[in-house]
Amino acid sequence: MTQGNGNRSRLLLVILIVTALFFITLDLRGVSLTKGSRSVSQTLLAPVQKTVFTVFSPIGRFFSDVANFGNTQSKINELKAENSALKSKLVKDSDIAAQFKQLKGVLDLAGRGQYKVVAARVIGRGTASSFSQTITIDVGSANGVSNNMTVTSEHGLVGLIKNVTRSSSIVLLMNDPTFKVGVKITRSQSVGVLSGQGNDVYTLVLLDPAGMIRVGDSLVTNGSEHNRPFVPGVPIGEVISVVNSTTSLTQTATVKAYTNLNDLGVVSVVIDAPTTAPTAPIVPTPIPTVTVLVTPSPIPTISDSPAPGDLKPAPVITSNKKR
Amino acid sequence: MSPIRILSTILFLFLVFAVQESAVSLIHFPVTGFSLYVAVAISLIASEDHNGSLVMGFLAGIVLDLSPTSDSPFGQWALVFTLIGYLFAVNKESIADFTSSPITFVLLVAVGSAAAFALDLGFGAMLGEENGSIKHDLIISVGNGMWSIIFAPIFLPGLRYARRFLLTSKER
Repeated sequence: MTQGNGNRSRLLLVILIVTALFFITLDLRGVSLTKGSRSVSQTLLAPVQKTVFTVFSPIGRFFSDVANFGNTQSKINELKAENSALKSKLVKDSDIAAQFKQLKGVLDLAGRGQYKVVAARVIGRGTASSFSQTITIDVGSANGVSNNMTVTSEHGLVGLIKNVTRSSSIVLLMNDPTFKVGVKITRSQSVGVLSGQGNDVYTLVLLDPAGMIRVGDSLVTNGSEHNRPFVPGVPIGEVISVVNSTTSLTQTATVKAYTNLNDLGVVSVVIDAPTTAPTAPIVPTPIPTVTVLVTPSPIPTISDSPAPGDLKPAPVITSNKKR
Repeated sequence: MSPIRILSTILFLFLVFAVQESAVSLIHFPVTGFSLYVAVAISLIASEDHNGSLVMGFLAGIVLDLSPTSDSPFGQWALVFTLIGYLFAVNKESIADFTSSPITFVLLVAVGSAAAFALDLGFGAMLGEENGSIKHDLIISVGNGMWSIIFAPIFLPGLRYARRFLLTSKER
């Protein structure tokens, strides 16, 4: 570089760096100009993404299938074996299945059935130019979607709405490193915090020092205040390993999610939650119970021990006892 | 750079950005995703002269900052690419040697892509962003470089052709 050229280059460098730092400062201070520019680009890109998705999604799926070919084949074999085992079990357990059906109906009524959802197609995945894990869906504020709404798939939690335009929304996936959700272990009702790690495994940290995590424990969302950002009871995944550390006050575990975030086609956004808090304890209907009080007779001596039939009949009291 | 050149470059970068956001991002690459945009931006920066590298870097960063899925503050990528442009500018003589051979140019693009991600990660850490574990970030940075090695030979001839259109008659 010549002297004059070098000075001009340095001056230009300083100007550009100062400009960049100026933008960063504006953004960190929440100036709407910089936030708005991203909304504008999302609004402009959404129609392009929808069109490209329609045309190119078979190509994307082809690459995905090629990448997961080995896994898919072994998964099919595994599922076939599991299916035949379940079929034989189904015949044996027809009586239990009838009871389970009733129970499931109650749980469904109390849980999922109370939410109003909007179905959405995934029209884009987060750019590879970012460390965040996101998808773009084809519903927006025109469909009643707003920020911090829960997004689910057929298997469970997907993430939450991060940014909304009129016709599209960006969903922060649950495997994003910044993603954290309060969860509940269905077996013990212990609560904890699940964090994304950027891949398909998650870290669960239990909040209760006395709580225990077991491999195979299922996790559901614990729910947030006013159901934002998370509605309660959405399945998340199951514990695949437990980390016992002497340096930690509470247990931690590794969790595998029910939802495969690499293969999302259709998701649903929970746009309305029930008016009654689903997290409130369920009070069962009072059931009449019978209490039998037996008054023992004086302890008999060995010589004159009466026969069992000689005991006096006890009074029977019937009452309605609430649990 | 003339104003017309700056405008046409921004339009071209936005076109690549749209392709990246709407088409390339749909493909689920093994290991990690591939950023076509970053690879193209590095290639363009490497092809410019001293001041051109700086301006091209800044423009490329500003367009990438428009990404609606980005978590980093607006201007961070502009800062990253400006510094990348500066590195290219001060090492112009040796960079020119690299760009003269197709194989070394591909390697330069791959290393540049990985370096851009590493710089972004560094600035993100300084600004208090959460970007996950070091292993995860390393996989993304190195993985992008790896995909750049594979795909750069495919897009570089087309990019050189497109760049000739972006140059003004005087620059040609």
